Amino acid sequence: MRKKRILALGTDLFVLILGLLALGSPFIFPQVYDLESQTASYPIMVSLIILLCLLIIIFEAQSSLLDSKMIAFLAVLTALNSGLRFLENAIPGPGGFSPIFLLIILSGYFFGSRIGFLIGAMTLLISAIITGGIGPWLPGQMITAGWVGQSAVLVTFLVNKFGWRNKPVEIVFLSAFGAFWGILFGIIMNLWFWPFLGPGFGETFTRAISAIENLQRYFAYYLTTSLVWDIIRAVGNVLIISIMAKPVLKVFQRFKQRFSFTIQGDALL
Amino acid sequence: MKNSIVWILWLLGVMLFILSSRNPIYLCIILAGLFILGHHLSKKKKSTNWVLPNLRFLFTMIFLSTMINGLFSHVGDKILFTIPNSWPLIGGNITLEGLVFGAINGLVIGALYILFNVINLALSIKQLTRLIPRAFHPIAMLVTVSLTFFPSIQNRARDIKEAQMIRGNPMKKISDWLPILIPLLVTSLENAFLLAESMTARGFHRHVDFRTPRNLIGLIFGAFAVFSGWILQLYHYPPYISIPLYLIGAGIFFLILISIGKQTKITRYRHEKWQRADIVFIAILILYFVSFGVLKWSNRLISLNYSPYPQLTHPIIQSAGLFLSLLPLLPLFFNRDD
Repeated sequence: MRKKRILALGTDLFVLILGLLALGSPFIFPQVYDLESQTASYPIMVSLIILLCLLIIIFEAQSSLLDSKMIAFLAVLTALNSGLRFLENAIPGPGGFSPIFLLIILSGYFFGSRIGFLIGAMTLLISAIITGGIGPWLPGQMITAGWVGQSAVLVTFLVNKFGWRNKPVEIVFLSAFGAFWGILFGIIMNLWFWPFLGPGFGETFTRAISAIENLQRYFAYYLTTSLVWDIIRAVGNVLIISIMAKPVLKVFQRFKQRFSFTIQGDALL
Repeated sequence: MKNSIVWILWLLGVMLFILSSRNPIYLCIILAGLFILGHHLSKKKKSTNWVLPNLRFLFTMIFLSTMINGLFSHVGDKILFTIPNSWPLIGGNITLEGLVFGAINGLVIGALYILFNVINLALSIKQLTRLIPRAFHPIAMLVTVSLTFFPSIQNRARDIKEAQMIRGNPMKKISDWLPILIPLLVTSLENAFLLAESMTARGFHRHVDFRTPRNLIGLIFGAFAVFSGWILQLYHYPPYISIPLYLIGAGIFFLILISIGKQTKITRYRHEKWQRADIVFIAILILYFVSFGVLKWSNRLISLNYSPYPQLTHPIIQSAGLFLSLLPLLPLFFNRDD
């Protein structure tokens, strides 16, 4: 059991490092700016590496988690969350506001990192299948949404450590976490195509500069093109979590007990 | 032409051309082909509103890309006007070369987006779900259940919303949506509970852990090999080092997933049929890949590598490049009998 936990932790760490290395390659490997060797293949290569990371973590998660109970639970929750994505037009909220982060964050917070990851990644996959939004951008969206759910376990850790469960500070912390990811989600998503579209890609003018200077350029680009959009998403997350988190967590608590049955014996397959 | 494998190969072929080309003329031909095919497929699906939103997206992408590159990149000889250097970030010369380079970027991104939109039109949801490898059968099951539940959840959301509005809920603030979300969540989880019970009763509860250290470490090693190949390619290491790394990584992934998939028994109620048109199409695609590879590696397709820097010139056109850029239109000749 301990061996499998170490393996799971090692897998998470590897996927996180490789994913961040791929997404952060413009700062870490300045050769990405070489026009002749990269052209348009950069976003596709990043997507491919992210896809491989996603396959590894999904493989690990499905093997450790997915029995009939979990398949039914996750499938229905994912369908519901994908449905919320279509409510984006109905719920008043401009810009990058999206209600999907509510269930992703709360399921990661309440049920643990694996379930949080799967809800995040699968929500994006299901809504892409339904809306015809499958493309090279999808692996990046899936893994980032997965990271949102996975990292919610950090809030669980803090809340448990300081005994904040069922206190107002729990909701404050979750809302702050939602705000943080509202911005970070946009920052990571932009990284996918920034070297391709952004200022660094005009011939050679950024090849010689340091990673810090490149980072400054990226944030300047981000500030001018995406910050307002992402602030709206962050504020939307704060509002929706602060209003809905408590009742949703109560429902989760009730169903966690009901889903805690075990099945004895083997299936007749 | 109905087989999803054939469509995926076609997608790879067109994507290969788009990613290898910076020639705006070829990219325009590819885009025109994609729009014609997309229009044809959307008409078959009785969806009337396909071309216009995609055209809108394409022009927005070209405009944004042109503006961003033009404002931020100040490289080039043909100076259109100058923004004072005191203006942060955008201060400097705005050059025609910078604008053209940005527009070409927009064409590439737009072409990729529209290519995937065509694939989303060509393949049904069932075909897309079937493309999930057998090794990921619990995920495929999850996706199938989720897609099955989706319409009923939408209907239930609509019903609850109507009931709330009849009771005088104005549905204007975020808090007004709480009486919809909670009943929806409760009824959905009740459904999940019933589903879990019935799946267990039908023998679905068997849980097989394929997460052996060998499989996981193999997958991790495969991903790392592909990543290393890419990094070495970035640093101009010779292809005989980076290409084997790609192949080793992809090979390990493929073999592990195949071997896990073989350990899983699945039932297919309807097999995807291979028609004669599919075989002919695949043969043409193989010919396409071979000729493209030969022309590209022997540097005989120089017209693909157009760049407006350092001096703006007219893009070169080669008959082979023109011919290869017609690939998006190929499915039209095979779609007549479907």
